[in-house]
Amino acid sequence: MKKFVAEAVKSNRVLSVLTLTVIALSFMLVAGCQQRAATRPEGAAVTPSAKEQPQPAQQKEPEKITEQKAGDVTSEEVASISAEGKEGMFEDVLFDFDKYDVKESYKAEMQSVASWMSKNSSATLSIEGHCDDRGTNEYNLALGDRRAKSVKDLLISLGVPSSRIQTISYGEEKPLCTDQSEECWAKNRRAHFVILMKAGK
Amino acid sequence: MGKGIVFMLLLLTIYYSLFTISAEAKVYIDITAPSSKKLPIAIYDLQGPLGREISEIIREDLIFTGLFMYIDKSSYIEDQQKAFNPQNWTPLGIEAVVKGSVSGGERTLKVTVNLYDTMEAKPVLSKQYQSDKDLLRQLAHNISNDIYQSLTGAPGVFRTRIAFVGDAEGDKGIYIMDWDGQRAKKTSVKSKLVLAPHWSPDGSQLIYSSERGRQWGLYLLDFLKMTEKMVFVSKGTNMAGDFFPQGDKVAFSSSKEGTPDIFTLSLKDRSFKKLTSTYGIEVSPAVSPDGSSIVFVSDRGGSPQIYHMRSDGSDVRRVTFEGSYNTSPSWSPKGDRIVFSCRRGKNQICTVKPDGSELSQLTDQGNNEDPSFSPDGRYITFSSDRDKIKGIYIMRTNGEAQKRVSPKGLRATGPRWSPN
Repeated sequence: MKKFVAEAVKSNRVLSVLTLTVIALSFMLVAGCQQRAATRPEGAAVTPSAKEQPQPAQQKEPEKITEQKAGDVTSEEVASISAEGKEGMFEDVLFDFDKYDVKESYKAEMQSVASWMSKNSSATLSIEGHCDDRGTNEYNLALGDRRAKSVKDLLISLGVPSSRIQTISYGEEKPLCTDQSEECWAKNRRAHFVILMKAGK
Repeated sequence: MGKGIVFMLLLLTIYYSLFTISAEAKVYIDITAPSSKKLPIAIYDLQGPLGREISEIIREDLIFTGLFMYIDKSSYIEDQQKAFNPQNWTPLGIEAVVKGSVSGGERTLKVTVNLYDTMEAKPVLSKQYQSDKDLLRQLAHNISNDIYQSLTGAPGVFRTRIAFVGDAEGDKGIYIMDWDGQRAKKTSVKSKLVLAPHWSPDGSQLIYSSERGRQWGLYLLDFLKMTEKMVFVSKGTNMAGDFFPQGDKVAFSSSKEGTPDIFTLSLKDRSFKKLTSTYGIEVSPAVSPDGSSIVFVSDRGGSPQIYHMRSDGSDVRRVTFEGSYNTSPSWSPKGDRIVFSCRRGKNQICTVKPDGSELSQLTDQGNNEDPSFSPDGRYITFSSDRDKIKGIYIMRTNGEAQKRVSPKGLRATGPRWSPN
């Protein structure tokens, strides 16, 4: 049933496709094969009273239902860019619930990130935006994006070139802790810094 | 990582012959009436191998609709083998009777089903089915659809499915299960992070967002070709959106130009158009069934709320005013209601008319998210953490009959009811 149908979708314009794992499968829509004209139900164990016998007038062509479900997916896999990330050099920036403004108290830390970046001119900074799980997943993905962007904007205002800062949101998908407590939620509402040592390009 | 999970192709082919008797389309249950009386129905265990299993599925299907009152088989006086006699039923107040038999060989099943109207003393459905034994559930759901259609005049949804995001030990994947939670299977889409699957209008494709190589892109899974295609990737966060009714265009949210805004993207020529631009967040666009408008979430007023605009981005107006966190909107198939996640302490499921009137809250237990309607507009699926671990639930649109359907122990979010 399964066939390897090599060659899938060559990655279009994006990133370099490092791996293209292809699993394929033949998907067949069994169509066609119409059955012959219907025969009456035989034996008629359940017979309607004679006068109510079904009228053949409404007899239809035997209907056939096909339900296409799913099979193996010819899947295009883009391997993670393996830029080695160095974490823990800077503290996470924490946010209030459903907020994405960087608090004043992070001013000093932002300064030190900016000056480190100017001293290490080959480094690229990736800022990850995260959320606690009380919001809804999709909105949180946008909120995490916005948090990362707020930090990025601040660093740009402190002189870090925009080209050396990447942002990515993980929404509530990568929590630091999973307890349902204010302390844990607060930890999860963060912008996290990852230093990518080999400047991308 | 192995070869990926084999998500077997299930192709159901049920041949069946149809003997329709219904003289004119009598409607036994007016499903458009707000609260019509439940129709008392008797459903025998079909005679023969697996007959009981098939009947059990039919009963569960029909009972879930809330339109039928199933009368337990212990009170049937008629021998199933004997001819249908309305006098055996009308004194019990039973209005419809399902009888039938199953025969079959090693691999196939042949089923005959008769549905009788006790008032008019006649059969309203008499039909034969044939299917593979492996497809017993689909076969039973098919019979349910026919019974449902005979009695209500509307098509049933018992053969529909729900797509969702399953999380097995940190590996998120797209799963598909029957609407009743059976036969849940993971697709072989390879991704550690995936969100928000949405069906194409014809049910042949799913669009979703997936993070790969530190970028969120839109991907399209095509069930006919069994391919996954990258549709859109750019800097920033690209969040899966919603198909337009013709299936050739999607609305989605992207922060490629800075902050998350709503865009439309043509799947034909990949042209896109920006519909909103604010400094804040615009996300979760949902295209109306007629394609003329889009509802979405924006925090332009200071908190996440549902907004409505025309599909070209004009005429933006706010829909929700109650509460400070309203997200994840989705349209009813008729376009007369919007279901969304409303924060009332915890996240609940609410519906509202597109003009903002007739707000109604449907859940009150745990956190409830990501609601969407069934294709007939009578049910809603959503995710909930009311039983600790997040799972997929279904309910009627009035909030009745809430129940978890996704497999126990599997963390599940982001359900979407298939259109067919």
